[in-house]
Amino acid sequence: MSLKRYIIRRLAEMAIIFWIIQTVLFFLFHLAPGDPLSRMVDPGMTHEEEMILTEQLGLREPVGTQYLYFLGNFFRGRFGISFHYGRPVARIIAQRLPNTILLFTTAVILSALAGTWLGKLISWRKENRTDKIITVGALVCHTLFLPWIAMLMLWFGAFKLGWFPVTGMISPELWILPQATAPEKALDIAWHMILPMATLFLIHFGSYLLIMRSSMLETLTEDYIFTARAKGLPENVIRDRHAAPNARLPVVTSVGLSLAFSINGGALTETVFSWPGIGRELVFAVSNNDYPLALGCFLLIAAVVLAANLVVDVLYGYLDPRIRY
Amino acid sequence: MLITAALAAGCRKVEGRLLRVGLASEPKTLNVWLASDASSRAVLRLVYHCLYERDPETLAFVPWLAESLPVYDPAGKTYTIRLRQARWSDGRPLTSADVAFTVRLIKEFKTPGCSRWKYVLRVETPDPHTVVFRLKKNFATFLSRTLQISILPAHKWKSVANAARHAQKPLAALMRFKNEAPVSSGPFVVRQWRKGAYVYLTRNPYFFGKDKTIAGRRLGPSIDGVLFKFYGTTDVAMLALRKGEMDMYWHHIQPGYMSVLQKNPHIRIVNSPKSAIYFMGFNTRRPPFDDVALRKAVEVLVDKQFIVKRLLQGRGSEMWSVIPEGNKRWYNPGLPRPGQGLNRKQRIKLAFRILSSAGYSWKKPPLDATGRITSRPGELLTPDAKPMAPFTILTPPADYDPARAISGTMIQEWLREIGMPAMARPMEFGALIQQVKVRRNFDAFILGYGRLPLDPDYLRSFFHSRNDRPRGWNISGYHNPEFDRLATAAQREMDPEKRRRLVFAMQAIIAADVPYLPLYLPTLNEAVRTDRFTGWVPMLDGIGNRWSFCLLKAAKGGK
Repeated sequence: MSLKRYIIRRLAEMAIIFWIIQTVLFFLFHLAPGDPLSRMVDPGMTHEEEMILTEQLGLREPVGTQYLYFLGNFFRGRFGISFHYGRPVARIIAQRLPNTILLFTTAVILSALAGTWLGKLISWRKENRTDKIITVGALVCHTLFLPWIAMLMLWFGAFKLGWFPVTGMISPELWILPQATAPEKALDIAWHMILPMATLFLIHFGSYLLIMRSSMLETLTEDYIFTARAKGLPENVIRDRHAAPNARLPVVTSVGLSLAFSINGGALTETVFSWPGIGRELVFAVSNNDYPLALGCFLLIAAVVLAANLVVDVLYGYLDPRIRY
Repeated sequence: MLITAALAAGCRKVEGRLLRVGLASEPKTLNVWLASDASSRAVLRLVYHCLYERDPETLAFVPWLAESLPVYDPAGKTYTIRLRQARWSDGRPLTSADVAFTVRLIKEFKTPGCSRWKYVLRVETPDPHTVVFRLKKNFATFLSRTLQISILPAHKWKSVANAARHAQKPLAALMRFKNEAPVSSGPFVVRQWRKGAYVYLTRNPYFFGKDKTIAGRRLGPSIDGVLFKFYGTTDVAMLALRKGEMDMYWHHIQPGYMSVLQKNPHIRIVNSPKSAIYFMGFNTRRPPFDDVALRKAVEVLVDKQFIVKRLLQGRGSEMWSVIPEGNKRWYNPGLPRPGQGLNRKQRIKLAFRILSSAGYSWKKPPLDATGRITSRPGELLTPDAKPMAPFTILTPPADYDPARAISGTMIQEWLREIGMPAMARPMEFGALIQQVKVRRNFDAFILGYGRLPLDPDYLRSFFHSRNDRPRGWNISGYHNPEFDRLATAAQREMDPEKRRRLVFAMQAIIAADVPYLPLYLPTLNEAVRTDRFTGWVPMLDGIGNRWSFCLLKAAKGGK
């Protein structure tokens, strides 16, 4: 099968999977217990007023009718209006998404580069002291409880040392000044990114390092590594040119999926650091029964994960010539 | 290098008299019709003002945008109000046309929470500074509730209303208006709202109250602006407060944080009474709580003092009426306080007496022949000698409100001491509301209203039999013709003293029938830094009131 035909077949499959996800999510949200009005009403509101509000939010229609409206709107590029914000879901997501991508994608890429590089090096020194210390360290990082390490980072870096801001993505005190320049603002964002990025780096780095290390150790037993040694090639050439490119394949899958999932941000990271990203919005939408916003966020994640799977599969063909479609 | 440069960029101190206020979440909107969250209301409180304010000490009405108290004409059922000379933040005059426009908008679009306006027949504007409200019938809460709404600028909202009128769903369209640059009648005007980061307000040059003395207080504002910042968790907000990144945290702080905050010499904790109620509600429509004797037994078994002392760490008070004690005008201080000051043994004995005299019995009584309490009572048997069916006490989950969730578990244990098969069950808040208010399928629940109006008309909403319907506010399904009669009379009674007596009688009926068991009232704990600003005005419901923002001053030697 040619690559083109393979991609077309996969796209068709993705469309069906996406529709199933869409349908299941829609009914899950609507059938789950909870009341979108529960946080909008107070004792000052009468029964009639609640009924009017329910009707205006479109919640009086039967669920089946609501589903048809939802599908119709979706194909016309409309993702609904958030109950909570009263604004189009697409606009809310568009505002939050870049913040999440900036933080999480940077953190995933940096930790993947560092983890792969260090994993490659320590696998070459298998069983010696450095390998043991780094492997245990990576295991610890990988299993750290994120909110705990995030609070620890804040307490130490922001409160005790006072080097970093406690929260947010920017310093409002700087941004409200008319004379603040673009480079100043860029540096301000970088300053705010340091603590959350360090936290995410610690969490992700360990897993990439461990994957790369075990993949390298497996690769080193392959015949072509013996052949390379027999040819008298220098050790660093065997490691970097022969072993590492093949060992990287599982890391590529892991990074690809991590990047895809990174768009949902880490609700915990974003909450602790008050990072205005999509993960926090998602949790908020679910807990407040804001169906349109929650559906919008989940569908975006589903679409990106499906697309990332396809990209990783196609990429595999280039990275590993043995794979044919 | 980047880190060093970033660190250098970050070492910026705040300049001028800019007040930095921390909020627990970002405001969802600046559209007054959609603003149901505390953060949106906090910002809007500084932007849109009302005709009348409450005096921070006496809670009496103080003319605000109005020049004087309204004049009521019983014959024509009219209220006449004179307006001050005031301007909007864009320089246009604030006139009676704005007031009339706001009222007509409410009546036409049936905006949520404004149903009381249906009693207004029409609004007349004989001149730019006089408004006449003509009522359909006598309506006691007109002044206290109806006139407390924010007045909107007609010139800004006319086009919005016109567009909404032609939409398929007019109210939804009105509520979706973004209103990101509201024209203000308050001391500040929204300069910039950067989503996810901050809302920045600067002084309104046209604020009517500047340098005026109202209720004996000379108004400012003396500060240059207000910067609202958002914090994802209370832990982080407390770090920011201690570090000096904010001057005030406009949110209730749990007692657990107090000891750390109190150690900081620049932080002051302000404890204010709340207009709120935290209570246990019973489903009086079905067994077992359709029996008032059982509800009374539960009442004496619940140790409110213990909840306040242990759970709230002393930062709160026991509640004995459905109207909080801080609402001095309407609170009935003469209500009985069943069980107050009793120890556990005394409570069990008293509950035993109440239940026994109502016909309840036990397989193994909680008291032996000598009147001593036995360690494990047998099952409680109902008056028809059947074992009482297990019942559930629904509570919000601990992550939503630990006090309510743990109270539920405590009450479960106290009720089991006398053989009641109680089971506390935390439930997601939205699901809990749906269960008790929409499906009405429950035995008992613990809930709270954190933002009760000062006018006691909500008693009518909570307990009038007409409101016992799906989504109605009479969640308990309470029916009492005498209460209904008093509630209707209180709504119509224009004589303040007569109305007060009626409200006192309504409280007495509720205390006797216990459809709701008031539990506790936590103190509102707020924290401010004292090194930059001074002059916060304490009041019912906290220091985040309009008076504070008009009276704050830079602290001497402030940074």
